[in-house]
Amino acid sequence: MTRHTTALAADVPFPPGIEEFYPPSLVEGWGYWATKFTLLIWVAVAILIVFFLVAYRNPKMVPTKVQWMAESVYGFARDGIAKEMIGHEGIRFAPYLASLFCFILVTNSFALIPLIQVSPNAHFAFPLVLAVISWVMFITIGIRRHGFAKYFKINLIPPAPWFVLPLLVPIEFISTFLVRPFTLSVRLFANMFAGHMILAVFSLGGFVLLNAQSLFLKPISLLSWALAIALTFLEALVVLLQAYVFTVLTASYVQGALAEEH
Amino acid sequence: MAGDQTPRPDGTDDYSSGAGQGWAAVAYLISGIAVWGFIGWLVDRWLDTGGIATAVGAIVGAAGGVYLIVRRLGGK
Repeated sequence: MTRHTTALAADVPFPPGIEEFYPPSLVEGWGYWATKFTLLIWVAVAILIVFFLVAYRNPKMVPTKVQWMAESVYGFARDGIAKEMIGHEGIRFAPYLASLFCFILVTNSFALIPLIQVSPNAHFAFPLVLAVISWVMFITIGIRRHGFAKYFKINLIPPAPWFVLPLLVPIEFISTFLVRPFTLSVRLFANMFAGHMILAVFSLGGFVLLNAQSLFLKPISLLSWALAIALTFLEALVVLLQAYVFTVLTASYVQGALAEEH
Repeated sequence: MAGDQTPRPDGTDDYSSGAGQGWAAVAYLISGIAVWGFIGWLVDRWLDTGGIATAVGAIVGAAGGVYLIVRRLGGK
């Protein structure tokens, strides 16, 4: 190998490690308050605010293209998620569910955009905050609907003979109040984390193979890049699906908090 | 709870509510095994029973989880 290619191989950090998800601070002295991820969060917020403001600023009976897009997204969250899961009462929650869906969709989409290529949701803290918001919300809704004692009675005490209750009540408690926020956040985080890892492995792996000592390994880099492209399409599906699943499950928890009996 | 047994007035009951029920069932099963497996593990540590209590706990917990799934999410 010439010195040139060895230098190139040294430039590619491979395999990609956990440090991918701890980007350095962008502003001197601000530490973790100003990283690539926090910047992307603000960008996502700005995109959504500007998009919906522009779309609804001057609503027309025959909608413009932007207005049509915004109405479709909101209509999908309202009819396809809120009404579908919670029923007629669910329309009250449509604004929250629509915001949640759009926010996760935009932040997830950063995983696909060239040069950004990583979603803030690949860092556990961000999905966790979203899950905690939904968690506090469905518990609050349930307590406000039924009162404190009745809400916990409905959720913790299943219809069962008294002698199996000691067995069942801890399971009810864990599955409703601990597993829900945990799975909600982990599902989103793990999907975005793994998606970024896989794309990084295949695209960086292509360079590593190209720089390999053996002549037989070099052509395989093309296979590696082809897989990276194919998996990007898969990742696009995951991006959309995870935003949908997170919102649907939040709606499902709200529905459960509002329900009378089981 | 996530499971709703009341049929919807408008008759819509396809993927989305099914997903909620599915995840609720998984949550019951996993929490059943985890909670009682953990309690069994504590008993193991306490009485030095070498893993038997953990196994019993996990099985009992799984049974409890299945029972809850049937009661909460099963049909009328």
